[in-house]
Amino acid sequence: MRLYIHLPFCLSRCAYCDFNSRVAGFRVRRDYVLALLRELDTWACILGEKERLLESIYIGGGTPSLMSGGDISGLLGEVTARFRVHGGTEVTVEVNPATWNREDFAIACAGGVNRISIGVQALRDRDLKLLGRAHDAREAKDAVTHAMGSDAASVSVDLLYGLPGMSADVLRECLNEVLEMGPHHLSLYALTLEERTPLYDAVAGGEIALPGEDEVAEEFLAGAGLLHERGFEHYEISNFCLPGHHSRHNLACWTREEYLGIGAGAHSFLGSLRFRNTASVLAYKSMVGAGLLPVSDCELLAGQEEVSEEIMLGLRTDRGVRDDILGAGDAYLEDLEDEGLLVREGGRVRLTDRGMLVSNALITDLLPA
Amino acid sequence: MEKNKIRNFCVVAHIDHGKSTLADRFLEITDTVPRQKMSEQYLDRMELERERGITIKAQAVRMHYSPGEQGEHRLNLIDTPGHVDFSYEVSRSLAACEGAVLLVDASQGVEAQTVGNAYLAVEAGLTVIPVVNKIDLPSADYEESAMEVADLLGIDPSEVLSVSAKTGEGVEQLLEEVIRRIPPPVGEDSLPLRALVFDSTYDLYRGVVAFVRVKEGVVRKGMKVRFMATMTAADIDEVGYFSPDMISCDSLAAGEVGYIITGIKDVVRIQVGDTVTARDAPAAGPLPGYQEPKPMVFAGIYPVDSDDFTSLNDALERLKLNDAALTYAKETSKALGFGFRCGFLGLLHMEIVQERLEREYGLDLVITAPNVVYEVEEQGGGVVYVRNPSDMPDMGTLREVREPYVLATILVPPDHMGAMLELVKERRGIYQDMTYLSGRRVEIRCRLPLAEMVVDFYDQLKSRSRGYASLDYEHAGFSAGNLVKLDILINGEPVDAFSSIVERGSAYDYGRRITQRLRELIPRQLFDVPVQAAIGGRIVARETIKAKRKDVLAKCYGGDVTRKKKLLQKQKEGKKRMKMVGKVEIPQEAFISALRMTREESGR
Repeated sequence: MRLYIHLPFCLSRCAYCDFNSRVAGFRVRRDYVLALLRELDTWACILGEKERLLESIYIGGGTPSLMSGGDISGLLGEVTARFRVHGGTEVTVEVNPATWNREDFAIACAGGVNRISIGVQALRDRDLKLLGRAHDAREAKDAVTHAMGSDAASVSVDLLYGLPGMSADVLRECLNEVLEMGPHHLSLYALTLEERTPLYDAVAGGEIALPGEDEVAEEFLAGAGLLHERGFEHYEISNFCLPGHHSRHNLACWTREEYLGIGAGAHSFLGSLRFRNTASVLAYKSMVGAGLLPVSDCELLAGQEEVSEEIMLGLRTDRGVRDDILGAGDAYLEDLEDEGLLVREGGRVRLTDRGMLVSNALITDLLPA
Repeated sequence: MEKNKIRNFCVVAHIDHGKSTLADRFLEITDTVPRQKMSEQYLDRMELERERGITIKAQAVRMHYSPGEQGEHRLNLIDTPGHVDFSYEVSRSLAACEGAVLLVDASQGVEAQTVGNAYLAVEAGLTVIPVVNKIDLPSADYEESAMEVADLLGIDPSEVLSVSAKTGEGVEQLLEEVIRRIPPPVGEDSLPLRALVFDSTYDLYRGVVAFVRVKEGVVRKGMKVRFMATMTAADIDEVGYFSPDMISCDSLAAGEVGYIITGIKDVVRIQVGDTVTARDAPAAGPLPGYQEPKPMVFAGIYPVDSDDFTSLNDALERLKLNDAALTYAKETSKALGFGFRCGFLGLLHMEIVQERLEREYGLDLVITAPNVVYEVEEQGGGVVYVRNPSDMPDMGTLREVREPYVLATILVPPDHMGAMLELVKERRGIYQDMTYLSGRRVEIRCRLPLAEMVVDFYDQLKSRSRGYASLDYEHAGFSAGNLVKLDILINGEPVDAFSSIVERGSAYDYGRRITQRLRELIPRQLFDVPVQAAIGGRIVARETIKAKRKDVLAKCYGGDVTRKKKLLQKQKEGKKRMKMVGKVEIPQEAFISALRMTREESGR
């Protein structure tokens, strides 16, 4: 079993973000953690002995690092008091550079964290300002340096591309700076314009111009090319790692293993059931307080749905999918292979770097009718 | 009623010269429609006619009028369409009358269709009463207009009447003149029945309602009749007249106008122009003048949703009934599926049919660019008619391709003559001659390929003459042209719906514009898509729709599998509504815009 813990609080809202997160006071956050523990209690009762053995724990948000390194260690202690871990359990925490100092990293690692994911996003101050990040480039680099100096076995850095005023050269320069610090894992995300965000309004109002499709594609291919040269594997649309440093927790999601998500808005996949907790922190707290499971939506997967998921998730990764489950004929696959968008090997199909860039259209084509 | 108390007449005019308003005044003055029920332009019954302000369907109404000592008269007013597209219907209406009121707008004077209609009426042997209308307008020039119309008819200007259909001024005098000048109908009741079908409509429950003018004999309820052109036998269920609603009666005698209902529901069996006779005592021959209407402009009409094909078929059948000139035949397009190749008298006719299909039958349609009919002479000497550009045989194998020409008459103030001649030249027209009408207007006559008129000739005519020019035309046979077939290929596959026949000299430019616009309209695909224009096997223009480069959902973690999956499934669902050309997916909307664009572009 794998466990995800959601901490839906941030220092401030970033200009591009539409995730389930909010700015809240200390008391609200403390009460929330108490509610998390109650939800953990409930699940510990429901799940059997074998299911309580965790292969990975992922503490995400929001900004989990609003909690100190000590508090994260405490939380992990509460988890292991109810569930079990083993020596190989991957324990990830997401860290915002504006939050932790060297001690926080050290204490968190001492408490069990062995993988750190740092939200650097960009290394030019003008970009960080535009994105509304609460840190500058200096702080971002310090955070990576501190993480590298800690006992964490893997350090990951998040970067965005497709920013206004960016180019393939700027991205490469940024990647070089990051790689100098030696992280084991990189997540390279296309900036996606989400409705009801300040950035969306700025673009709609004509204050900011985003680069065109072709430019953004060039940036990504340049970045992916550089990472390949440095020995990184492109193992998922947005994720690159040195050998053996995959995010095992996330990879499990893409290969449709079970996971339990706790916290407001957290998603779970158990058996053939996908379900989601209520996103409202208040509703979450009151439901958990009343001894209820705080579930708001669930979906029971039927035959075809499972195949669809296998395709949409499998094609995100470098493992690809079996070609016999795809909803497209051989001739079409051959065309796409000729276009350099996918590779067919040993009865499996996987997307190339260029294919991953247009994966939304490709996956739509390849889903069963 | 005695025949000498009956008058059958119509009103003919250029478009917008006030024909319908005048009909309204007639109905009011004769108390045919009570004032409180009078809605403006009562005879234009179709919603569409009201909106466009033009009369599409001829209507017939019986009115009673008793001026002074002359006693009560029965006046049958046959309303006629005012647009050049409908001249066949005008001629059928004229054949039902003994006289015509020729209406001219006092502020506009004689226009091209005034001339056309006047000639039609004179040729049909009708007594013409010239009337200048809209004398209430500040811009009215009665003297000048009367002079023009008198010139046209070769009469004295003092014979020209004046009215204001809007205020009613002069309308009663006009009705008295109708009785005085127009002769009563002739024709013996004792002869075998011959009645002209001059229009028809369809009643959902009772079938075809045929509008008839009895020329000889009497038509009675219960009579066994035959429609002579279609050889259709029928029994008369009901006889009646319009006042203006349908009022049944026992019979209609020679000289009278009314309707007959036979219960026939098959619309093609009762054709406008046909003659009705009695089966037990048939007439020796039909009335003269019946002709199959010849559509000259064709376009493909397809349902957006292929499930609507049957509904479209039914709707066309119904429309055909009271639109004798509409033709249609099933056709299949690789890109558009099942539909119909429809024939029209002209562009306005096409637009009206489209709007009626959409409005009255609620259909969602795709319409291809209109084209004219081509007369093709094969090497062996055989002649075929091509109604769809994609059916055009390889031009290299043909002896000659001929296109329809029209003889166009343009009336325009002398100031704009230069602009008109230039337009005619641009459109491959051949100037013939011109005549000055009363110094205020020039009549230009020219021969033009119909294909050049099909698109926006009329709009151009209006805009380049600041609205002053008017147009009339008649068909003038086929002439050879230097024509080529232009195909549009998307990813190497010809798209039949985009094929067109164009003049060789403009083919390159046309091809370039179409390919450029298609490149803008068709969304990027997963691979480069060439869009080409080709003449025969030769590519004359090429654009490339570059492959899509980025279309990615950057993040998908345990979080959100369900939401992302729904999004992808919705996209997949959306693809089903796309038109496939080979492996290129074209959204329905892009296809429709592309067709609309080819309609605007062709012939330019």
